Amino acid sequence: MQAFKQHDMLPESSHDEQARQDFVMAFRGHLSGALMPGAYRVYHQRVEPAFRAARGRAPADQEEVRQVMTQDPYYQFWSAMQRRSQEMLWESVIEPTERQLPELIGRSRKLSKKTLAKGRKGTLRLDPALVVPKYHTAADIHLQPGGYHTDFTADDVAAGVVYDKGINIYMGGALGPENNLTGDTLLAYFREKHPQSRPARILDMGCAIGNCAVPWGRAFPDAELHAIDVGAPVLRYAHARAQALGVPIHFSQQNAEATDFEAGSFDLVVSHIMLHETSKSALVRILKECHRLLRPGALMLHLEIPRGKTVIEKFMHNWESYNNNETFCRYMTNIDLKSEAVKGGFDPAKTRMDEFVPKLDVAQMNYTESFFWNILAAHR
Amino acid sequence: MSEMQTPPRRPKGHRPQVFDDPAIDQLHAAFVALASELSVAFDRIDTLERLLEQRAGVSRVEIDDFHPDERAAADRAIRRADVAERLLRPFRDFREDQLARAERGEQHSPGIAAG
Repeated sequence: MQAFKQHDMLPESSHDEQARQDFVMAFRGHLSGALMPGAYRVYHQRVEPAFRAARGRAPADQEEVRQVMTQDPYYQFWSAMQRRSQEMLWESVIEPTERQLPELIGRSRKLSKKTLAKGRKGTLRLDPALVVPKYHTAADIHLQPGGYHTDFTADDVAAGVVYDKGINIYMGGALGPENNLTGDTLLAYFREKHPQSRPARILDMGCAIGNCAVPWGRAFPDAELHAIDVGAPVLRYAHARAQALGVPIHFSQQNAEATDFEAGSFDLVVSHIMLHETSKSALVRILKECHRLLRPGALMLHLEIPRGKTVIEKFMHNWESYNNNETFCRYMTNIDLKSEAVKGGFDPAKTRMDEFVPKLDVAQMNYTESFFWNILAAHR
Repeated sequence: MSEMQTPPRRPKGHRPQVFDDPAIDQLHAAFVALASELSVAFDRIDTLERLLEQRAGVSRVEIDDFHPDERAAADRAIRRADVAERLLRPFRDFREDQLARAERGEQHSPGIAAG
C-alpha cells in the first residue's frame, strides 16, 4: 500500500496526534480483518441454526436477521467497538486540524489565487442562499461532527481537512495516497467500456473534497471539469486542495437535484458513492437532473457500494445505516437503481447496472465477505 | 462568524445502544479509548528509547519533532498489531467457545421468540 501523500492543505500532526491516528487505523484494520468475518461465522454456525430450530425456517430478510444478530454477544461486541472506532477516528484528526486551522485557512486563500500550468486555474463559486438538504442536516453523515456543511468560522475549511485525513483512516489507507481509489475505479470502468471516448465537459456530483474529481482531471487534462457539492467548507477545501495538486477544477456549491448548468451541456456526469447519502425522492430528482444535463448520446456513471446479496450480507452492510448515520442506506438495499434511472427519464435499453471488481485489498473492507462495486451506467 | 468556534467532538444524530445495560456500552467505549492512549504511550516510549539510544539528554521539543523512519515505522506497525491482538483475544476465545458449544448441539438462541 502506498503511503498517504502530504500536500499543502493537510495539517501536521504532533507525535501523540499521529500515534492516535495510527492506533485507530490499526484497530479498525483488526476489527474488519480479524473480528468482522467472525460475525459471519457466528451467524452461519450459531444464530441461523438457532433461528431454524425455533421457527422451522431461515430468516426471511435482513430485518429478521437484525432481530437475532443484535442480541448476539459476539456481534454486540464487534458493533460497539466499530462504532467507537468511528468516533475516535474523527477525534484523532479534529485535534491537529483545530490547532492549525488559522494557518490552513490562510494557505487556502493563497492557493485560490495560484495560476496552474498552461495558465489555467480552478475556480470556486459558493452560494450562501443554498438550502442544505435535510439528508445532510438531520444527522452528521459517518459521524463526522458538523458534517460536510457546517462552518465554524469565516472561510472555514475544517470539514474538508477532517474529511481528507479521516477517510484515509476510515478505509485503512486503501483509498490510496490522494484518497483516489473511488475516482480511479470509475475511471478504470469508463476506460474499459469506452476506450476511445474523450469527454470535453465533465461534471462530478457530490464531490466533497474533490478527491474523486482529481483523477478525472488528471486523465482528461483538456476537459472542462466541474464539481458540485452542498457543503461550503468542503468546497473551499476541495478548491484549495485541487490547486495544491495542480489540477484545474471548477467547484460550485449546488444541489445535484437542481443545478444551474445549461441543459445538454455535459459529455459525462459522474458520482462516487454519493447516491446512498441522499433520499428516496432526491435520488429520482438527481437522476432527472443528470438526464437534463447530458447532451444526446452522452453518458452518466454512478459508482455505488453494493448492499449485499444474502440476508446476512444485507444486514451487515446496513450496520452503517443504524450505527454510522448513513440514514438512507437501509432503503437503498431494496431500490433498483436501473428503474430509478428510468423514472428519471433514461431509456431502459440504454441503462445498465454493472458489477466491477476493483483493485483493492479486501482485508481492508468492512462488512462484507467479497467485494465489488456497483455501477449505474446510462446513455442519454 | 468572525470568531473561531471550537468544532464539536460529538456528531449529531441517533446514538445506538448495543447492550441491554447502557453502562456496558460506556465501558466498551472507555476500553477503546484506554487502548488508544496505551498505544500512544507505547509510541512515545519507542520515540524516547530511540532518541536516548542516539544521545544522552532528550528535550520535549525533540520528541515532538521526531518522525519515525521506515524501519521504526515498520517496527511500530508490528507492535500495534500485537496490542490489538492481545486486547481482542478474550473476545475471539469467547466466540470459539460459543461456536464449539453450538457444534456440540448445546442450545443458544438469544432473542428468538418461539413460534
